[in-house]
Amino acid sequence: MKSADPLSDTFSALADPTRRAIIARLALGEATVNEIAEPFDISLPAISRHLKVLETAGLISRGREAQWRPCRLETKALQQLDGWLEHYRAFWTGSFDRMDAYLAELQRKEKSDER
Amino acid sequence: MSASLAQDELLITRIFDAPASLVFALWTDPEHFRRWMGPEDFDCPVAEMDLRVGGAYRGMIRSAQHGENWFGGTYREIEPNHRLVFTFAWDDGPSGEIETLVTITFTEQGGKTVQMFHQSPFSSVERRDSHVGGWTSAFEKAAAYAAQVSQEEKL
Repeated sequence: MKSADPLSDTFSALADPTRRAIIARLALGEATVNEIAEPFDISLPAISRHLKVLETAGLISRGREAQWRPCRLETKALQQLDGWLEHYRAFWTGSFDRMDAYLAELQRKEKSDER
Repeated sequence: MSASLAQDELLITRIFDAPASLVFALWTDPEHFRRWMGPEDFDCPVAEMDLRVGGAYRGMIRSAQHGENWFGGTYREIEPNHRLVFTFAWDDGPSGEIETLVTITFTEQGGKTVQMFHQSPFSSVERRDSHVGGWTSAFEKAAAYAAQVSQEEKL
């Protein structure tokens, strides 16, 4: 089922270790279903189901032209992930800078109160 | 390319020149929390906390440029001055609707506190932990390492 939020699809697709391994394999270049299945101890239909999930999430695409339909990585979904992460990294890093300043202020106050 | 796969997780380590009890209070006392939550140019006029496992918190930050941004979640683990785990989600925006899990550990070393902040999409953390139990132990190793590093810095 495709949800309204494409990032949720991406995250749930990547939550599975087999699918992460498939993505890692495709990062090296295009591959057929047989080539992808080779290192795994699971059936071809099971691999196909994983590929379907990855395709629905927009993480991979499959060639229409050739009979063996090679799979390749789609970078757009991964870039969205990067965007998600960058948003939070900037947010918290900025907040922790203020936390640092506030801690200094609190402790200065504490010291001057002691005097 | 494969490097970007680990990137649904965020890990930020900061060393604060303050005891762990105070750093922990900055997260758990709404009066303190409001003073630092949000990057520069934001303020945090609303923070409400029901600080108990299963309890909810809610807050809002705002800036002239970005307007009001509401967020909230539920506390999962509370170990005073050591560890805090809660869910976190924005009400809306590009990353809204995705519930994340935040885990923060506080390790005090010689009056300073190593704060390790980890955030990850909630679904993948739950699934991964049930599959391998790997992340938690990896994180604890990282915490031990950070403590060691800060120990060495003092020498």
